[in-house]
Amino acid sequence: MAEYIAFTVNGTERTVAARPARFLLDILRDELHLTGAKRGCDNGTCGTCVVVLDGRAVKSCIIPVEKLDGTTVLTIEGLSDGKMLHPIQQALIEAGAVQCGFCIPGIAMELYALFETELDATEDRIRRALNRHLCRCTGYEAIWEGALLAQQQMKSKVEKRGGHK
Amino acid sequence: MEFKYIGKSLTRPDAVGKVTGKAIFLDDIYLPEMLHASVLRPEYAHARIVEIDTRAAQREPGVVKVVTGADCDLRYGDNIKDLTPMAKDKVRHIGEPVAAVIADTPQHAKAAMQKIEVTYQPLPVYTDARDAMADDAVLIHEQNGEYWTLPTLNPIAGTNIANYYHLTKGRAEAGFEEADVIVEGEFLYPFGSCAALEPHGAIVWFKEDNTIEVWSTSICPFIIREDLAHAYGIPVADVRVHIPELGGCFGYKSDITVEQTVAYIANFVPGRPVKWVASRQEDFTSTLIGHGIRTRMKLGARHDGTFVALKTKVYHATGAYADTGVNVTIGATHNSTGPYEFPHCDLEGYCVYTNTPPVGAFRGYGHQETQFAIERLIEILARKLGASPFEVREKNYLTAGKVNALGERMWESNGDIIQCAEKVKRAVFTHQKPKEDQAYYYGRGFAALMKSPKGAPFSTKGCYIKLNIDGSASINMGGAEVGQGLRTVVQQIAAEALQIPPEKIRVYPEIDTQYCPYEWQTIGSMFTIQGGRAIIRAANKVIRTLKQTAAQVLRCDVDMLDYDGEHVYLRSDPAVRVPITRLVRGYMYENGMTIGELAHSVSDARLPRYSDPDPETGQGNMGVTYTFGAQACELRIEKKTGKIIIDHFASSFDVGKVINPQQIRGQVVGGVLMAIGATLYEKLDFDAEGRLRNPQYFQYHIPTLKDIPGKQTVEFVETPSAIGPFGARGLGEHPVIGVAPAILNAIYDAVGIDYYDIPITPERLKQDIEAQAADAADKGAA
Repeated sequence: MAEYIAFTVNGTERTVAARPARFLLDILRDELHLTGAKRGCDNGTCGTCVVVLDGRAVKSCIIPVEKLDGTTVLTIEGLSDGKMLHPIQQALIEAGAVQCGFCIPGIAMELYALFETELDATEDRIRRALNRHLCRCTGYEAIWEGALLAQQQMKSKVEKRGGHK
Repeated sequence: MEFKYIGKSLTRPDAVGKVTGKAIFLDDIYLPEMLHASVLRPEYAHARIVEIDTRAAQREPGVVKVVTGADCDLRYGDNIKDLTPMAKDKVRHIGEPVAAVIADTPQHAKAAMQKIEVTYQPLPVYTDARDAMADDAVLIHEQNGEYWTLPTLNPIAGTNIANYYHLTKGRAEAGFEEADVIVEGEFLYPFGSCAALEPHGAIVWFKEDNTIEVWSTSICPFIIREDLAHAYGIPVADVRVHIPELGGCFGYKSDITVEQTVAYIANFVPGRPVKWVASRQEDFTSTLIGHGIRTRMKLGARHDGTFVALKTKVYHATGAYADTGVNVTIGATHNSTGPYEFPHCDLEGYCVYTNTPPVGAFRGYGHQETQFAIERLIEILARKLGASPFEVREKNYLTAGKVNALGERMWESNGDIIQCAEKVKRAVFTHQKPKEDQAYYYGRGFAALMKSPKGAPFSTKGCYIKLNIDGSASINMGGAEVGQGLRTVVQQIAAEALQIPPEKIRVYPEIDTQYCPYEWQTIGSMFTIQGGRAIIRAANKVIRTLKQTAAQVLRCDVDMLDYDGEHVYLRSDPAVRVPITRLVRGYMYENGMTIGELAHSVSDARLPRYSDPDPETGQGNMGVTYTFGAQACELRIEKKTGKIIIDHFASSFDVGKVINPQQIRGQVVGGVLMAIGATLYEKLDFDAEGRLRNPQYFQYHIPTLKDIPGKQTVEFVETPSAIGPFGARGLGEHPVIGVAPAILNAIYDAVGIDYYDIPITPERLKQDIEAQAADAADKGAA
């Protein structure tokens, strides 16, 4: 196994040591100080640590470091550009989906991975994606509405640009 | 009254920070030279510690210090000083701190912690209050009765009873002589966990200048500050507690939970900050848990359904330490009447030490546990009387003129429970219930409820307002935002009170005991009521300051002046005016001479005439303000599996005044789902040895999106309160209170089975339905 692992995080090439063995979430939080992904259970249950790895939403607390070489990771910190929010973030706010906010970064990245690959995702598909996430505050109603609103806004943005990408 | 900013769905001021991942929670904080702690938990829930061998742990990489409780004599607590930061001679529950490792990284700390060897001598384990109350039970605290307690508490030395509370009204138990019908039952609301997504944690830093700086996931920074100052013998002013963003609370981040333990550990490495964050397992076993309340209840009524007498015995397994649970027991006891008047009450609450993690606040604070009992018992009574359960309730509701168990008289301004009940009845009971079919049984159930804050006489909340040179306002309060939307409420109430638009009002985001005004603690659904009143009082003060300066400028009396958020002007001639931007730092004349005061103010507010209980009767002004409500549900039971599907859940509360419609719906919808979890599957499963079988999210299931009701109806009644700001009442906890009885009453409606405890899992329900059918077949054959 290589001594170092090189991968791209939010558009920047990063190199981290392959040892000691640890997980993507440890690297993001403890080493790169990208603390937007949260540690809620550390065993892949709660979804607060979800980031996008090569286009797929993954629970970063169970992705071992050796799987990262050559990959591309997008975290919540890379979703907006520092000024304008991404439509998913905007929609979650508008729907009232943000309460304590601990689950929200993971949910936003889940929806991003889903709608980037499947903008026409059915309600059942969206439900299955959100079902990977725990939230103790909202009762999910506003999160559900926020997800539908996000899809709608992303769709209208694509339509304005003239068709699907 | 017309409102400009109250009653609108303003967007929460912290939403952007949270949705971009930039909001800073406890575990996101990194300090220079920070060390990390890992804590060893015992193998037994009740045992003497014979020996702790730390030699192997000390040799592990990265280890700075290994800490035990060998020399720990510190006792702390807010109600009963029975807590200890680290076990000394014995362990009393499975999540107790036994030893700790301080190391350079969390991984090193944890690896070394696993090398600590402890020899125990096991003792008998009690997980149920009544077992711990047996005459021959081993004492969990030999010192029970010797600990410092609040003067109102009554520990029984030589037993495991940490407190006995007795409330009587009228002729107490003798009142049952007047009853024509008596029903009784025993009910259990088992242990649960608030299980917020963010686990508990703290950073403690003993500094070279003999001060202590703390960051914690708590909603009680001022209590932590005083408690640490007391423990380490330094002035309260020398302890500084910061509260970063909180990832949910639901009760268990109140009181002192982990801070004294982390401080005890950090005190071994003065000069360096030490961080400890609970693993998910530790969050379940080593913080605070909820409920554990067994209720024996007897209700007497007349033939016409009028309630006569109530007898309640609350057996509360409060866990290994009673400091945080004792008020839950008391609240559970005096609120066990539910929203009904009883001329005669005999209510007893036993707060009992058990070998389980300490019970603390859980959204609802004792109310859902015992009102679950009364709401089930009323259904059973109505059946016995052959009366409508709605009519029985209506005869007895605590409406204006009635007197509750505590002796508090109800006024119209306490709210209208009848309207709440009507709203949910209309939503759920005015259409036909589907008939049983091949796949499902169908049922509908109802429950009414009430909740008081369960506060304390000295509780108050402060507010500091600073007007800025451009006419904007900064608001600084000590109330904890846990997700409930406190900051939005502050912004809206401040906007209304100052008549300054919300976009020009900034609510300070961080709590820091060094600069925030005092707040007792953000508990009991009290913030809107007390905090809101504090804002109005502070706003009135600052407006008075502006007017005093303007009176000098305009050369008139203060009482001739009015204020509209932009100007102070002469009432008789509004053209004579001064903009507030020229008044906030005093008024400056053209030649530079300046008069008047800085426009800032401090105020606070508490509940009026809150009092301790009377030592004889247990009565007193311990509620002061109540929110009444009603809840109902429509459900289906899948015949094949026993699974309960909630098709519709309806809630209505008399909140006095809705401050933010979007947020208040979010509170109700979320609270209802939390209690659906408790009713259908959440239960901390301790074995006979006091070990927790389900300390992970994949074992202790909290509701997911697939578990939500098909529909939630949420409606409000707005009878203005005489206390809260603009008539508002508290609501945060109330949505959890009526859920379990509404669902259990619906289960009876569907299949005719009476349940007295929760959770009702599909396996259990299916088995009971089958047993019932077999029973009926047997009877048919005979």
